[in-house]
Amino acid sequence: MLIHLILKDLKIEWRSKEIITSMFIFGLSITLIFALAFQVAPGLIHAFASGLLWVVILFTSVLGLNRLFSLEREEHAMWSWTSAPVDRGTVYIAKVFSALIFVLMSELLFIVPFFIFLNLPANFSFFQLALILFLGTGAIVSVGCLISGITLQAGLRDVLIPILLFPSASPVAIAATKCTGFLFDKKPLADWNFWLLILCSFFVVFGLFGYLVFNRIVEE
Amino acid sequence: MSFFNYRNNLIHAAVAAALATINIFIVLTLDPPNLAQGVFGNIFYIHVPVAWSAFLLYFAVMVCGIFFLTKKSIEWDHRGLACAEVGTLFMFLVLTTGPIWAKPAWGFFWPWEPRLTTSLVLFLIFLGYFMLRQFGGNPEQVSRYAAVVGILAFLDVPLIFLSVKFWLPEMQSHPQVGQYFDSANPLPTYLVIFSFISLLVLSSLMVRFRTNILSMKDAS
Repeated sequence: MLIHLILKDLKIEWRSKEIITSMFIFGLSITLIFALAFQVAPGLIHAFASGLLWVVILFTSVLGLNRLFSLEREEHAMWSWTSAPVDRGTVYIAKVFSALIFVLMSELLFIVPFFIFLNLPANFSFFQLALILFLGTGAIVSVGCLISGITLQAGLRDVLIPILLFPSASPVAIAATKCTGFLFDKKPLADWNFWLLILCSFFVVFGLFGYLVFNRIVEE
Repeated sequence: MSFFNYRNNLIHAAVAAALATINIFIVLTLDPPNLAQGVFGNIFYIHVPVAWSAFLLYFAVMVCGIFFLTKKSIEWDHRGLACAEVGTLFMFLVLTTGPIWAKPAWGFFWPWEPRLTTSLVLFLIFLGYFMLRQFGGNPEQVSRYAAVVGILAFLDVPLIFLSVKFWLPEMQSHPQVGQYFDSANPLPTYLVIFSFISLLVLSSLMVRFRTNILSMKDAS
């Protein structure tokens, strides 16, 4: 059933292409602004690149999380969605996976222009970058889907998501930036595996917490 | 009948007022242990106990949230909200007294010290919590959402603390606190504990008073 719920989101996205496209274009626009704003001191870019990357990812995730749950709200499909014959924790897990897929896809699209625009050398392990992106994005969407679910009925939804998400995800911002920074400096994995562990624990802790409480969030 | 018409509440208020007066008198008249910091050294006797109380109150928000989600009694929601309000007020005091003390102790107003940073992040999450309370949708649902955010905030604490601690390793030492807890001179330790007890009495009075108002509002 989990797979059906994820496929439903993927099918809707395949037909409309609205979430990934908007996240990609938004990410590209922020990258452009960063590239222009840092023109005065190109030498600084390398030192700040890891932080900039995660600022872009956090901002685009907010956009994606906002849209992802709006689908159910706009079409009044909320109750058919939550009445899927599984417990609601599974519904939450399905949303986390759909969000993870969408955000990762948009990252794949804007990470190339990000490196080109900011003139960053790409001579590091791509497998390790993929691992960091997966865990970091997973950590962001695990708490993000929970917050998105909480603010589903709120009038100020667009404002509440970033207000609640950014401080809650501050450990992710620190850990992911540290990992990426070490990776860009070509440090061995043993130097920064602690930060991967932080990302992993965040992903697991908030994934489980969301699974446990989502039932209470969407109940009538 | 008003809250202070009950004899027990009146005694509670009198004890809180007496302890607070004695506490303020001690802090203002005692010689600071480190004369280099001047009179600012004594802010320690307020800053640290206020921080302990604030964290304890936020912990209480989490406990009330768990009870509310499991027992579904509105009383727990009122207690949680009252603890969150008083806790945020205390956290604001931590964030004000911290920089006042940091200036003479470190030489600048804002050290990215793990405890102070964790306080700031929690404070920001709770500002979001009040936004959610205000604009989150219908009151019955908002109570559940707020309980989830209260639990989420406290789950975040160990992760924030660990990330900030290892983020700037040179910041992790907190020598200024060590000066106060000295086995040769136990007086400062006793004074901190006394200050903490006086703040606990005061904050419990504030929480009970606020819970009372919320219950009356709900009943009317």
